Amino acid sequence: MGSVDDRGVSSIPAPARAALVIGLIYIFLVGVSSLETGIKTMGSDTTESLFSAVSNPIAGLCVGILGTVLVQSSSASTSVIVGLVASQKLGVDDAVPMIMGANIGTTVTNSLVSLGHVRHSNEFRRAFAAATVHDFFNILAVGLLLPLELIFGIVSGTAENISERLVGSAGSEWKSPIKAWVKGPVGWIKDGLSTLGAEANLLGTLMVAVGLVVILAALTFITKNMRALVADRVERSLNAILGKGGGAVAMVLGMLITIAVQSSSITTSILIPLAGAGVIRLQNAYPVTLGANVGTTITALLAALAGSSPEALTVGLAHTTFNVLGIVLLYVLPFARSLPILGAEKLAEIATTRRTMAVVYVFIMFIVLPLIGVTLLR
Amino acid sequence: MVFAFFKKEDPGLGHIASRAVGMLHDARHSFDLATLALLDGASFSSVEEDVRATDARINQTEQDLRAELVVHVSVQGANDIGVVMGYTLLIKKIERIGDQAKNILDLAEEVGTIVDDEGGHQLMDERRRVSTMFADAASLLAEPNDEASVNAFIDDAGQVSADYQTKINDLMHSDLPGSVVVPRAIYYRYLKRIVANLRGVVSVVSEPLPNIDYLDDGATDITDD
Repeated sequence: MGSVDDRGVSSIPAPARAALVIGLIYIFLVGVSSLETGIKTMGSDTTESLFSAVSNPIAGLCVGILGTVLVQSSSASTSVIVGLVASQKLGVDDAVPMIMGANIGTTVTNSLVSLGHVRHSNEFRRAFAAATVHDFFNILAVGLLLPLELIFGIVSGTAENISERLVGSAGSEWKSPIKAWVKGPVGWIKDGLSTLGAEANLLGTLMVAVGLVVILAALTFITKNMRALVADRVERSLNAILGKGGGAVAMVLGMLITIAVQSSSITTSILIPLAGAGVIRLQNAYPVTLGANVGTTITALLAALAGSSPEALTVGLAHTTFNVLGIVLLYVLPFARSLPILGAEKLAEIATTRRTMAVVYVFIMFIVLPLIGVTLLR
Repeated sequence: MVFAFFKKEDPGLGHIASRAVGMLHDARHSFDLATLALLDGASFSSVEEDVRATDARINQTEQDLRAELVVHVSVQGANDIGVVMGYTLLIKKIERIGDQAKNILDLAEEVGTIVDDEGGHQLMDERRRVSTMFADAASLLAEPNDEASVNAFIDDAGQVSADYQTKINDLMHSDLPGSVVVPRAIYYRYLKRIVANLRGVVSVVSEPLPNIDYLDDGATDITDD
């Protein structure tokens, strides 16, 4: 049978991999700062025309969904949003619906993973329900919290309050040590592009492009390496969830796993084959996804450290606040807890009877509706 | 339980092997008790609860370990798929041994003790022999790198199975009354299956996955009926 030690999964020793991750986080922060600097370098006419599209909150929500579907990572899209806010060209009020959209968009990965089980009815029903329970939670959370945000500013207000206590009020500048650390490499990028003849809008656009590439690449490698680094811990945590059931403990473990791997998609996608095989029940998988929702917000908070504006931190905190409030409304309150589960089970039932409905659902939910939203409401 | 994330443990599937050894000890416990009822006059009621509870524990452990193996593949990818499939086979074999022990208990419930019948001492000797094989299999499972001992066990188990088949064949053609022959033939049949499964448990440790449960001549050795 062979020893498990022979598996050769980790050819890089753990301390070296940990050091690599720290380096990648630094590169990620350089990417965020480059994005911020690029936007600041652009002319105000350009940035105004760029961001006028998201002044409508529903359009912002749809942009958040589409952007996240495109990069398959809410960590990446929210980091970009934080970078944009740090540049002072995108306001917190416009960014919060985009953050909510990112929360919805990230669940597309689960749904796509669950489609892999489509050939086996029972397996597919369980897998699809486990994938879409995350969708239902996020959609219901947005349905409840977006109106409350628009009327009372409940999410941004709470986040602003925390941000103010931490780094000072909006409009001021706080001395982020990270900002100083990444200043050098960002300056080199800017100088390098200037040497090539780029200036004004072109220079800004190129810096944004470099920033986006660096953010996406760094996050991809951070996730990959962290997954290898903490795989045994993730496995133990999931075994603990299987042994003891769901609830708050599963939620905390979902959060810890996601913080460790820097990707809610990784955490929730691992659950899909487990749910499909009937190893984990939907009721137990559900709190893990909620924990993953909270855990993934750490990346936006990290990205906010690369900027020096309290608003960027406010948006990062808004992501956390939105998910925590969503849990309070839809999980802590007993009557609401079963709603996403019932919705997911019903949808999975329909999708199992007519398999094409599953594909149609994913296509309409994550592509068509957001596109319509952006087109009509911009 | 949240501390499961922070706990430092040896990586890999080592804990599955440890728990499989535990299952094997449980299966031996069931076997010893059930055969006491059948061969040594222990009352059925005194051992029934323990045997059934032990069997339930073995079954539950098998289910738990199956789930943990699926988690392992989901988290770690396909690198360990051969090991995972090997463990799946292994724990199923141990679960079957537990079932055979329960079958011996059911036989004791049906026919009472057969120790005073002719050949009773031989039956007790075979009981001791098989019980020792449980311990040997558990040792080899815990320390699978002793290739010579593994091969010796596999050969020995093959010989014991063949001996039991000879005994079954002899009983089939015996002139003794059915009330004597039938319980013995059934008992030997159960012993043969237990030994075959113990052989399978140890084979999983050493043989290539596609060959497990297939004999040299290509015939299968997986029927537990």
